[in-house]
Amino acid sequence: MTAEFVQPDLMPALPEMVMLAMTCLVLVVDLFLPQEKRGFTLLLSVLTLALAIGAVALVAPASAVSSFGGSFVLDQLAVVLKIAVCAITIMVFVYSRDYLADHDIYKGEYYVLGLFATLGMMVMISAHSFLLVYLGLELLSLSLYAMIAFNRNSLRSSESAMKYFVLGAMASGLLLYGISIFYGITGTLDLTQLSASVKGQMAEHPVALGFALTFIVVGLCFKLGAVPFHMWMPDIYQGAPTSVALFIGTAPKIAGFAMAIRLLVDGLGDLQVDWSQMLTALAIASMALGNVIAIAQTNFKRMLAYSTISHVGFILLGILSTSANGYASAMFYTITYAITASVAFGVLLVLNRKGFEAEEISDLSGLNDGNPWYAALLAIAMFSMAGVPPTVGFYAKLSVLQAVIQVDMVWLAIVAVLFSVIGLFYYLRIIKVMYFDKPMAEQTTTIKEALDVKILLSANSLSLILLGVFPSILMAYCILAFS
Amino acid sequence: MIETIIFYVFAVTTVVSACAVVTVRNPVHAALFLVLTFFTSAVIWMTLEAEFLAISLVLVYVGAVMVLFIFVVMMLDINVARMREGFVRHLPLGLAVAVIMLGIMLSVVTSDVFFMDVGSEPVARAADYSNTKALGGVLYTDYVFAFEIAAVILLVAIIAAISLTLRKRGKTKYQSPAAQISVRKADRLRIVKMPSSEE
Amino acid sequence: MVSMELVYLAIPLASLLGAIIAGFFGKQIGRSGAHCVTIIGVAVSFVLSLLVLKNVAVDGAPIYNYSVYTWMISDGIRFEIGFLIDGLTALMIAVVSGVSLMVHIYTIGYMHDDDGYQRFFSYISLFTFSMLMLVMSNNFLQLFFGWEAVGLVSYLLIGFWFKKETAIYANMKAFLVNRVGDFGFLLGIAVLLMFTGSLDYYEVFDRADSMVTATMQVIPGMDWSVITLACILLFIGAMGKSAQVPLHVWLPDSMEGPTPISALIHAATMVTAGIFMVARMSPLFELSETALSFVIVIGATTAFFMGLIGIVQNDIKRVVAYSTLSQLGYMTVALGASAYSAAIFHLMTHAFFKALLFLAAGSVIIAMHHEQDIRKMGGLKKYMPITYWVSLVGSLALIGFPGSSGYFSKDAILIATKNADVWGAGYAYLAVLLGVFVTAFYSFRMFFLVFHGEERMDEHTREHLHETAPVVTVPLILLAIPSAIIGWLTIETVLFTDFFDQAIIIFREHGAMAAVAEAFHGPASFVVHGLAPGPTWLAAAGVISAWYIYLRKPQLASAIRQRMEWIYQLLDNKYYFDRFNEIVFAGTARAVGQVLWRLGDALVIDGLIVNGSVRLVGWFAGVARHVQTGYLNHYAFAMISGLILLLGWAVLG
Repeated sequence: MTAEFVQPDLMPALPEMVMLAMTCLVLVVDLFLPQEKRGFTLLLSVLTLALAIGAVALVAPASAVSSFGGSFVLDQLAVVLKIAVCAITIMVFVYSRDYLADHDIYKGEYYVLGLFATLGMMVMISAHSFLLVYLGLELLSLSLYAMIAFNRNSLRSSESAMKYFVLGAMASGLLLYGISIFYGITGTLDLTQLSASVKGQMAEHPVALGFALTFIVVGLCFKLGAVPFHMWMPDIYQGAPTSVALFIGTAPKIAGFAMAIRLLVDGLGDLQVDWSQMLTALAIASMALGNVIAIAQTNFKRMLAYSTISHVGFILLGILSTSANGYASAMFYTITYAITASVAFGVLLVLNRKGFEAEEISDLSGLNDGNPWYAALLAIAMFSMAGVPPTVGFYAKLSVLQAVIQVDMVWLAIVAVLFSVIGLFYYLRIIKVMYFDKPMAEQTTTIKEALDVKILLSANSLSLILLGVFPSILMAYCILAFS
Repeated sequence: MIETIIFYVFAVTTVVSACAVVTVRNPVHAALFLVLTFFTSAVIWMTLEAEFLAISLVLVYVGAVMVLFIFVVMMLDINVARMREGFVRHLPLGLAVAVIMLGIMLSVVTSDVFFMDVGSEPVARAADYSNTKALGGVLYTDYVFAFEIAAVILLVAIIAAISLTLRKRGKTKYQSPAAQISVRKADRLRIVKMPSSEE
Repeated sequence: MVSMELVYLAIPLASLLGAIIAGFFGKQIGRSGAHCVTIIGVAVSFVLSLLVLKNVAVDGAPIYNYSVYTWMISDGIRFEIGFLIDGLTALMIAVVSGVSLMVHIYTIGYMHDDDGYQRFFSYISLFTFSMLMLVMSNNFLQLFFGWEAVGLVSYLLIGFWFKKETAIYANMKAFLVNRVGDFGFLLGIAVLLMFTGSLDYYEVFDRADSMVTATMQVIPGMDWSVITLACILLFIGAMGKSAQVPLHVWLPDSMEGPTPISALIHAATMVTAGIFMVARMSPLFELSETALSFVIVIGATTAFFMGLIGIVQNDIKRVVAYSTLSQLGYMTVALGASAYSAAIFHLMTHAFFKALLFLAAGSVIIAMHHEQDIRKMGGLKKYMPITYWVSLVGSLALIGFPGSSGYFSKDAILIATKNADVWGAGYAYLAVLLGVFVTAFYSFRMFFLVFHGEERMDEHTREHLHETAPVVTVPLILLAIPSAIIGWLTIETVLFTDFFDQAIIIFREHGAMAAVAEAFHGPASFVVHGLAPGPTWLAAAGVISAWYIYLRKPQLASAIRQRMEWIYQLLDNKYYFDRFNEIVFAGTARAVGQVLWRLGDALVIDGLIVNGSVRLVGWFAGVARHVQTGYLNHYAFAMISGLILLLGWAVLG
C-alpha cells in the first residue's frame, strides 16, 4: 500500500504555499506588536504579497502544468491573474492604512483576513476542479464577511456583513446544488474529465445539463454581481468600511472572472450555446440597470457599486462572445477595471479623515480647489470608467465590442454603446462636481497624506493613461492566455 | 434483500426527520431531529461501505457540532413567535415560488435523465479492505491541496469569530504575575520616621 | 543600429520630457528650473538631430523606416507610431530643433516678467515634441496626430495672454480656419485609406499607381480622379496649416501671441508643416497634373498678393507676418512646379532668416516697451546696433541679396518656376517675379522706418532705449550666421546631390529641377549669374524705391497714398477677406445656427431628446432605486426570481 503514494508536484503551488506560510507568520507576529508598531504588519503583509508575486514569476511555466491529480492548473491565465490580484491587494493595503487608523480599526486582522482572501482568490484562479473552485470561493467569501463586519462599532457594517453572509451562503448553496447535479450526471468533479463527459452526454441529457448549468451560472453571477444577483453590492459597498469596499470592489472581480473562465469555458465549454444565451440576458440587464440606477445615486460608494454592475455587464459581453478574442478582451477589461476602481476608492480613502467619512458625491465638491492633484487622479479614473480615450477604459471597451461584433452580434454592441453613453452622464457629473461646484468647508483644507500613498495612487492613476496609450503591454499577455 | 430493506427504512427516516427539522416549532426539537438525520445517513453510508465517513459523521457532527448547537440554542432565548411574524404575509409568494420550482424540477426529473446507468455499479471489496487507508492515500496526494485549503478555511473562521467577538473590557480585573513578581519592597512599604511622642 | 533607434526615439522624447516637467512641476522647480529643463531637453534633441543629419548627409546612412510601436490592429489596418528617417526628415528635425533651441533661449529674456513663464516653456517644448513627431512620422496616423498637436499648441499659445480680448478672438479664428483645412486633410487621408487600405507612407506610395486610373463619384454623375481628389484634399489641409489663400486669414491675427511664438510656430516651423507634407507626398502629387496646377496657382496668388498687403501694414509684427505668408507662397509655387527640394531648401533658409526677423522685431518691441507701431519708431540704429545689424542680415536674406541664404533658395524657385510646364506656371512665374520687387520694397520700408530717419517715439521711450540683454541678442547673432551663409554652404548638397533622392520623387517630364541643375555650376557662379539682369535688379529696385519714398522724401508716401486711395483701402482691408468671411461664412453660420438652435436644439433635442430622455432615465432610475429596499428577503427573492427565469429558459425553452 505504501508504494502507491505518489507525491504530487508541489512546485506549481509554490505561490500559494508562500502565501499561507507568510500569512501565518503575519498572524503570529502581529499578536506581539504594540498598536503603534502596526505599520510593521502592513510592511510584512506587503512583503508577503511581493514574495507571492515573485514566486508566481519563478514558477511561471512555458505551457500549462497541472498537479494534484489535475485539480490544480498553472497556465498563462493563472500567472497573469495571480500577479494582478497580488499587485492590486498591495495597493489596497497601502491605501487603507490611514483610513483604518483614523477609524480606530487599525488592527492586524484586517491584513491577515485580506491575505487569506487573496489566498482564496489564488486558489480559485488555479482551480481545475469543482472542489477547489468551491473551496477557494468559500475562503474568499468567509474572509470578506469578516472584513465587512470588521468595524464592530458600526451598525451599518454589521448589517451589510449579515446581508452578504446570508445571500452569499444562498448563492454558495445554489452553486453546490449545480455542482452536485453535474457530479450526478458525469461522476466527476475534475473539470477536464467533466468536459469530456459532458461532450458525450450532451445529446442524451440536454435538459438535466441545462438545469445544472443554470445553478452554476447563478452562483457565478452572484459572485460577479450581475443583475438580478447584484442586490448585495450597493448595500455592501456602502455599509462596509471604505477600505474593505475598496478590496471587495477590485481584486475579487478578477477571481470571479477566473472562476467564470474555469467553469464555463474549461469545464462546460460544450454547453456554450446555453450559457452564452443566459449571459447575454444577464449582461444586458446589468448594463441597463447598473448605468441607469447609478444616475440616481447621491452616495459615491453606491454609485461605484452600480457602476461596477454595469462593468460586469461588459465583462460578460466578452465572455459570451465565446471566442479567444472575447475572453482575452474580457480579461483585459477585468484587470483594468480593477485598477481603475482602486483609483476611485483610493482617492475616496485619502479624503477620509478622523471624524469625517467622505462618501457622498457632494463630499467631492470643489475638490479641485484644495487638492487639484487628487481631483485630477480621480478625474482620470472617471474618464477611464466612462471609456474616454486615451484612458485604458476606452481601449478595454473597444476590444470587448470588437469581439462581440466579430461573432456577428452587432445589435448587442449597439446596446452596450447606448448604455455606456447613459453611463457617461454620472461619471461626468463627478468631474463637474469636483471642478465646478463650490467647495465644502471640509474640502478647503489641503489633505495631509502619506507620501507612499500619494506616489502609489499617482502611479496607479497614471497607469490608466499609460495602458490606454500602450494597451499591448497587458493585452499581449491576455491574448497569450487564450491561445 | 436485507440491504434493500435497511436502505428503505433508513432512507425514509432520513427524509422524514429532515422535514421535521424545518417544520417543528421548538428549535431544540429541530436540532434533535437533525441529529437523527445524521445518524440515519451514517447508516446509509455504512451500507455503501464508507465506514470511515460514516463514523466521522457521527463523531464530528453528532458528537461535536450538534452538541454545541444545542447548547447555543438553549442558551439563547429565541422568540419563535416573533420570528414567524412575516410568515403568513409572505406565504403566498413563497408558495408560488416553491410551486414553480417544483414544476421545473419535475419536468427535469421526468425527462429521461436520472436512470441509474450513469455510473458503474460499485464493486464489493474484501473484508480486510481498509477504507480509511484508501482515503488517506488520496487525501494526502491528489487532495492534499484541497485538504489544506479546507483547513485554512477553518482557521479563517476561528480568526473571524475571535476578531468579531472578543472585546477587552476596561473594567475587567485580572492579576499581572509579572508585576507581582517584580515588585520591590520600596514599592509597597513606606517607612515613616516618627518622633516619639514621649515627653 | 540599435543605438540609432534609441537616438531617434530620444529626439522627440527629450522635448516631451522637458515639457512634462515644466508643465506639471512648474511650481516646484520655479522659473529658472523650468527654462533649464526645457532648454536642456531641446538642446539634447538638437544635438541628436545634428548627429542624425550628419549620418544621413555625410555618411549616407540608408533610409530607416521602422514602426516603434503598434497601437492596435483593426481589420488589417495597423495603427502605429513609427519613424521614417531620410534626408527630408533629417533636415527638418535639425531645423526644427535648432530654431526651437534659439527661441527657447530668447524666451528667457522676452517673457522675463510674465506670470505664465513655466506654462510658456512647457508649451513651446510640447510644440517642439509635436513638430518632431510630425516630421519623423512614417504613417498618416502619426502625421495627423502631430498635425493636430501642433495646431493645439498654436491655439494655446496665440491665446496665451488669455485676458486680452483680441488674443482670444485671434486664437478662435486660427482654430476655426484650421478646422476647415484639417477637415480636408482628414478626408484626404480617408480617401487614401479607402483605396490603398493602409496608413503607412510607403505602402500607400506603392499602391498609388492604382489610384491614377480610378475614379469616384462624390457628386453623383461626376467622375473625379481619385488621385487628384486625394491630393487636393491633402493640399487643403496644407493650405490651412501653411496659410495659403483663402485660408490665410488666421496667420496675421496669430501675431497676438507672444513674439517668440510668432517666430517659432507662425514663421519658422509649424506653418511650414504643410509644405513639408506636400513634399513628403511628392510620389502622390507627381501623379496628378491637376493637383499640381492647383497648388502652383494658389501659391503664386499668395506669394504676390499677400506681399502687397505687407506694404501698407504699420505693425512691425504684421509686416513680418505678411512677409511670411508671401514666402510660404513661394514655397508652394515651388511645390507646384515639382521643385520639391527647392521648396524645402527655401523652407530651411526661410526658417532661419524669418525667425531672425521676428526675434529682432521682438527685440525692438522689448526696447520700445511693447510698442509695435513702426510709425512711432525710427532712428533706432544708434540705440540698438546689434539688433540693427542682424535685422539687416535678415532683411537682405529675405529679399534675396546675392550670396545670402535667401538668394539661393529664392533663385532656385524662380528658375524652377520659369521652367515648369504645368498649367498656370506662366502666371506663377509672373507673380513670383513681381513678388521679388514687392518683397524688397516692404522689407526695406520697414527697415528704414524702424532703424533710420527721424526719431518719432515719445520722450519717455527714447530715454529708456537701449540694446536688449544678451539672452536676446545671442540667439539673434546665432540665427544671423546661418541666415547669411547657409545657402552658400548647402545648396549643392540639398538641391543637386542625391540627398532627397529617396524622399522626393520627381517624374522625368516635370523638368523644373533639372533646369535648375543645368543652370547651376557651383555657388559662386550662381551668385555671378544672379548679377545678370533679372530678379536681383528687381530687388534692388525695390530697396531703392523704399529708400526714396520713406527716407528721402517721406512726404511722397502720403501723396501716393492719397492718389491711390482705393488701392490703399483694398490692401489695408486685406482684400476684404476678413469682412467677406465675417459676413458670408460667419453670418450665414450664425443665422443657420440661430435657426437650428431655436428649432432643432431648443425644441427637438433639448426639449424632447435630451431632457425627455433625461427625464425618462431619471424617472426609471428613481423607480428602480426603490427596488433596492435594503430588506434581505427582498434581495433573496430577487435572486430566486432570476434563478427561476433562467431555469425556465434553460429547461423549458
